[in-house]
Amino acid sequence: MKRLATALTAILVLAFLVSPAFAGKIEDIKKRGTLIAGVKDSQPPFGYVDEKTNQIVGFEIDIMKFLADKLGVKLDVKAVTSSTRIPMLTQGEVDIVAATMTHKKDREGQIDFSITYFMTGQRLLVKKGGPIKSVKDLASKKIGSVKGSTSEQNAKKAEPTATIVSFETYPEAFLALKQGKVEAVTTDEAILVGLKFSDEKPEAWDIVGDYISPEPYGFGLVENDSKLRDFVNVSLMEMWESGEYKKVYDKWFGKDTKNYIPLTWTMELWP
Amino acid sequence: MAYQFDWELVVSGQYGDWIVDGLITTLQISGISIGLSLVLGTMACIMRLSKLKPLEWIAWTYIEFFRNTPLLVQIFFWYFGSYTVLPDSVNAWLNTVNQEFACGVIALTFYTGAFIAEDLRSGIFAIPKTQLEASRACGLSFMQAMGYVILPQAFRIIIPPLISQFLNLIKNSSLVMTIGVADLTYMARQIEAHAFHGLEAFTVATLIYLSISLVVSFSIQQYNMRVLRAAR
Amino acid sequence: MHWDVVWNNFDYFLWGAYPKGPLGGLAMSILMALGGIFGAFWLGLLIGVCRLSKRVWLRAPAMVYIEIIRGTPLLMVIFWFYFLAPVIMGKSLPDWQSAIIALIVFTSAYIAEIVRAGVLSLPKGQMEAARGSGLSHAQTMIHIILPQALFNMIPSFVNQFVSLTKDTSLAYIIGVSELTKTATQVNSRTMKAPFEIFITVAALYFVVCFVLTELSRRLETKINRYQARGR
Repeated sequence: MKRLATALTAILVLAFLVSPAFAGKIEDIKKRGTLIAGVKDSQPPFGYVDEKTNQIVGFEIDIMKFLADKLGVKLDVKAVTSSTRIPMLTQGEVDIVAATMTHKKDREGQIDFSITYFMTGQRLLVKKGGPIKSVKDLASKKIGSVKGSTSEQNAKKAEPTATIVSFETYPEAFLALKQGKVEAVTTDEAILVGLKFSDEKPEAWDIVGDYISPEPYGFGLVENDSKLRDFVNVSLMEMWESGEYKKVYDKWFGKDTKNYIPLTWTMELWP
Repeated sequence: MAYQFDWELVVSGQYGDWIVDGLITTLQISGISIGLSLVLGTMACIMRLSKLKPLEWIAWTYIEFFRNTPLLVQIFFWYFGSYTVLPDSVNAWLNTVNQEFACGVIALTFYTGAFIAEDLRSGIFAIPKTQLEASRACGLSFMQAMGYVILPQAFRIIIPPLISQFLNLIKNSSLVMTIGVADLTYMARQIEAHAFHGLEAFTVATLIYLSISLVVSFSIQQYNMRVLRAAR
Repeated sequence: MHWDVVWNNFDYFLWGAYPKGPLGGLAMSILMALGGIFGAFWLGLLIGVCRLSKRVWLRAPAMVYIEIIRGTPLLMVIFWFYFLAPVIMGKSLPDWQSAIIALIVFTSAYIAEIVRAGVLSLPKGQMEAARGSGLSHAQTMIHIILPQALFNMIPSFVNQFVSLTKDTSLAYIIGVSELTKTATQVNSRTMKAPFEIFITVAALYFVVCFVLTELSRRLETKINRYQARGR
């Protein structure tokens, strides 16, 4: 018994010590011939399963396609959720996370971020004409959110008496709102717009309140791979400068789409 | 990929409180569901054994359907699916109470109740048929014979499978986190997402589930042994 | 009622985006259950035999394994393999693979108990008689005891397979595109037919599980009759 325990301990210790040899991600991706991106699969218009083709499509997928094309490799998308995206990246299951992730200082300890590719802020989605006008109206009421997201913590800070009910995905939270189970859904405005317009009657819903917090989205990258990070950042700036970004943006958020959000911010551009 | 262990973080301060809150919720939801599923399971079993065809069919359908579908789908059904078929007034009332918790209790009760009904039925079959006939001959009604003669014996027979059903229920209660009930698993998950110390949080949660299982099975075994000794 | 939502997505429930995309839906659930029971059978058999061994260094670890796994919720086992095994092992697994491994590890503890119960239910004289006629312990196990015990336990294995089929729904949590996941995806996209969707999905699971449960009941009666004749 004792010997077995010693052997087990030794194996465990070894397992902790031996970690994979580190090679640059870009070489890996090129060798493999595919860029594996972690994206959302139920968050229109950022990433969702298209009804006709049953494939994951969206704004973030299009940007990933641009990056894959530039590398000359194929794009392979993998569905992640707010709580699985960071572990999946650190475990190497995906090369890059493009999943509506806010660039937060707290997260810097785990992963690296690209420059901001989308700017938004956290607000509230509520029933139109209802009593909720701002986060203060939610005192001792229920707010729907998603596990592992920043919105959840921010809402709790803004209105400590509110109860946060956390679901697996945002549409589940929205469904709870539609069924009156929660009084509001809180997250980034861009996601709320997508939720609102995914409904049959978008006019029944309103996005209210000041920004509870600003939410700059960045792509998640593994720590300390500056070659990959440089590539992503430079590519994003190129996209912006060549007008390609605007094209993709208009495809998903333009005036003619049901997710209209005017483009009011400018990407950080290095001279 | 050096992983920095921080056990302090998970068992003390804010995250420690989360774990305790989660444990309390898990115990509450399990305790209530255990009581209710015992009642529902007994009722379903009696209906199944009654000679009234409609009751028998209802019980049969209930037992077979709920045993042969995943609890997770049942939870989603109760929480999201029931809304469109319930009257508005009921929905309005439900929305004023702690609906997530209530749905969790309902789902766990219906799921476990179906298993208990079947266990109880095999317990009743283990009792000689003549007992029921004799009781009926003594002038007891079907319900009286069941309540005073058959069920008490059947329950004693099925104590071991009943314990494992209760333990299953406690473990299954981890699924209610999908509809936002803040139980032990939910909290472990939150700590993983907020503090990136999942390894510690999941270890602590697993150990707590394990100790609950061990304590429950041990104490019921002790009780069982004492009862058996007293019965001798 | 919006049964059209169910109708329009029925193929998605059955096999996901296949053949244009990855396999999913009910087909994925059944494949996971099949892979799971195959792995769990062999692992469970090994652990069950160890649990029955007279040698403490085989019996004790098997017992600890069985008790730990059976005292832990499946969801925890899935999280362990999904989030934490990579931290320990230093490499990652695709989500469906890690789900299947979790299912195998979880189910094997229950299979081990079935194996043990099957062996213990055989008359003790068999082992003694076989040993008496010159077979070793291992030979007796492999050629005499296990075939009978496993045969008698076929209904329990089928029941375990039913549980496993239901358990595959938990892979939804880590994003495996099995039946429950496809249901929640369609529910999230349409948002007007949760009742219809979840009833349909429950019915799909029910058809598979109920057929198997019936099979196990029939087998049980048959095996009982067979044994009664043998005596």
